[in-house]
Amino acid sequence: MRDYIIRRVLGMIPLILIVMIVSFGIFSLVPNPFAALIENPRIKKADIQRLIKAWGFDLPWYLRFFKWFSGVIRGDWGPSLLYPGSTARDVISRALPVTVRLMGIEFLVSIAIALPIGIISAVKQYSVTDYVVTVISFLGMSMPTFWFGLLMMMLFSVVLKRPSGMPLLPAGGFITPGLEEAPFWAKLGDRAQYLVMPVVVLAFSSLGGYARYMRSSMLEVIRQDYIRTARAKGVPERSVIYKHALRNAMIPIVTLIALSVPGIVGGAAITETIFNIPGMGSLIIQAETKADYPTAMIGLMLSSVLVIAFNLVADIVYAWVDPRIKYS
Amino acid sequence: MAEKAIEAKKKGQKKSSEDYTYVGMVFHRLTRHKLAMVGAFMLIFILLFVFVGPLIWRANPNTQIEGLGGLFNPASRAHPLGTDDYGRDVLARMFFGGRISLFIGFISAISSTLVGALVGLVAGYYGGWSDNILMRFTDAMLSIPTFPLLIALASVLGKGVWQIILVIVVFGWMTDARLVRGLVLSLKEQEYVEAARAIGASANRIMWRHLFPNTLAVLIVSTTIGIGGAIIYEASISFLGFGVQAPFASWGNMLQNAQQFIWNSPRLIIYPGLAIFMTVLGFNFFGDGLRDAIDPKLKL
Repeated sequence: MRDYIIRRVLGMIPLILIVMIVSFGIFSLVPNPFAALIENPRIKKADIQRLIKAWGFDLPWYLRFFKWFSGVIRGDWGPSLLYPGSTARDVISRALPVTVRLMGIEFLVSIAIALPIGIISAVKQYSVTDYVVTVISFLGMSMPTFWFGLLMMMLFSVVLKRPSGMPLLPAGGFITPGLEEAPFWAKLGDRAQYLVMPVVVLAFSSLGGYARYMRSSMLEVIRQDYIRTARAKGVPERSVIYKHALRNAMIPIVTLIALSVPGIVGGAAITETIFNIPGMGSLIIQAETKADYPTAMIGLMLSSVLVIAFNLVADIVYAWVDPRIKYS
Repeated sequence: MAEKAIEAKKKGQKKSSEDYTYVGMVFHRLTRHKLAMVGAFMLIFILLFVFVGPLIWRANPNTQIEGLGGLFNPASRAHPLGTDDYGRDVLARMFFGGRISLFIGFISAISSTLVGALVGLVAGYYGGWSDNILMRFTDAMLSIPTFPLLIALASVLGKGVWQIILVIVVFGWMTDARLVRGLVLSLKEQEYVEAARAIGASANRIMWRHLFPNTLAVLIVSTTIGIGGAIIYEASISFLGFGVQAPFASWGNMLQNAQQFIWNSPRLIIYPGLAIFMTVLGFNFFGDGLRDAIDPKLKL
């Protein structure tokens, strides 16, 4: 097992390098933002040349990659172009907690709903309940998040009002200005209001996939002989399902959960854009279209490295919960 | 077997699954899958709407009504779905926007599947170094967060229909490649492949004539579901402003345009979103039913 882990960790290095080169190559296609400054008569030509040189835009993209990469290795992630005066690292560390809060809550909510309905749907296969769960899962998977987000906004921020005339839920943002220093509970309540709509939108779109997965995993287990044996020897049905079957059905779910964790950091670009949440998803999109490659690259690398690492974690956890699996 | 079918018919029994050809059996199982049939009817409805609709309702999607009185009209006899912010007929824009969205969905899903199949066939059949390199690359592409790079590429490549298709294909072939490679690894050990090799068939012929047809069933399912995904991608790209550009309509850019009028004209948001939702749901229902229908282990 130890050799297996060492080999896998070493295998991650070329993978991360490919990811870096592909992403950097694509970003380098975004036109040089300083070239446009030539139009501006108030900026000296020499200053523009200096900026272009400092940012490495005078080099071909692969040399710029090495310049960036050697900085990254030394721990210098570079300045941000999108927010002049901040380093890319600061910009990312402002967006990260916002996204983790949103996506973490969304993840817990969708798992907490999806797993029970997936189990019920499998235990009562082909019943009305099963059909309702299946249809709801498909509705969620097919619903474009930007449309659902706008519909929610129309309902809760335009149509429904509070007695005071204010919208029932704020249409966007993540905190009411002026409440940053409020007491803990007031601040919590304020933040919760802003989270309701995005969390519902994201959870509805992801819970279908989890529920379908839970259902098929449970169905696979229920068909097996040891479940029939348990029933034959008179184990009560509840205990057959929740003790004998569920434990094995959860094994693939554990890996699914491990593979979903990186998404918590990556954020959800569309939903964050609609609800005007300054998280990772919308930040990366903004950064890359403005040629702010240091910020965009850190954001992307953070989630890619987590995806690669959690793939390994998923495999290790899988072997740990299921002793039948041996890696060599 | 024919005699058996006649006998069964005489007795008034239903045909058993043995009496069908493979395609006939899949079709028979598909027609018994309720959600797949719901999906099929939704898709037929959408296709009729998009392709036959303009023959009945002959309005030009880009004609603007002059004057402020023509903007944001509610539904009327002259404009069944009203007019938009330029005074254009929304129903006509729904037809032509749908054609573009469906076209992008179909072409990019089919192309991604073919690229994935090519990579999977080569990796699975040759094995060794080519397998190692191709699959590491596939793994790397799978671990990049797709959406941000999709947007970056779309923002540089330009905003035509073919550029968007290219962008979706670049980031859409990886799961099919893995799927096909897995299938090919087990298929290439079977006797018929060995027989083909024994009579001197070239690697190309074995891959495309013998192995590829055996992966088709799985690939058709993945393409069907992929069309829905590609339509969502197109809409998301257009929604962020990097997709199909005005004056051409797509359901995605109609929605993007409508977003700023959420306060005074919410119906402009409802129509294109509903169309995208219905289409994707139809492909998902149908694709899921198809998957069940080609799986011989499952009872329907």
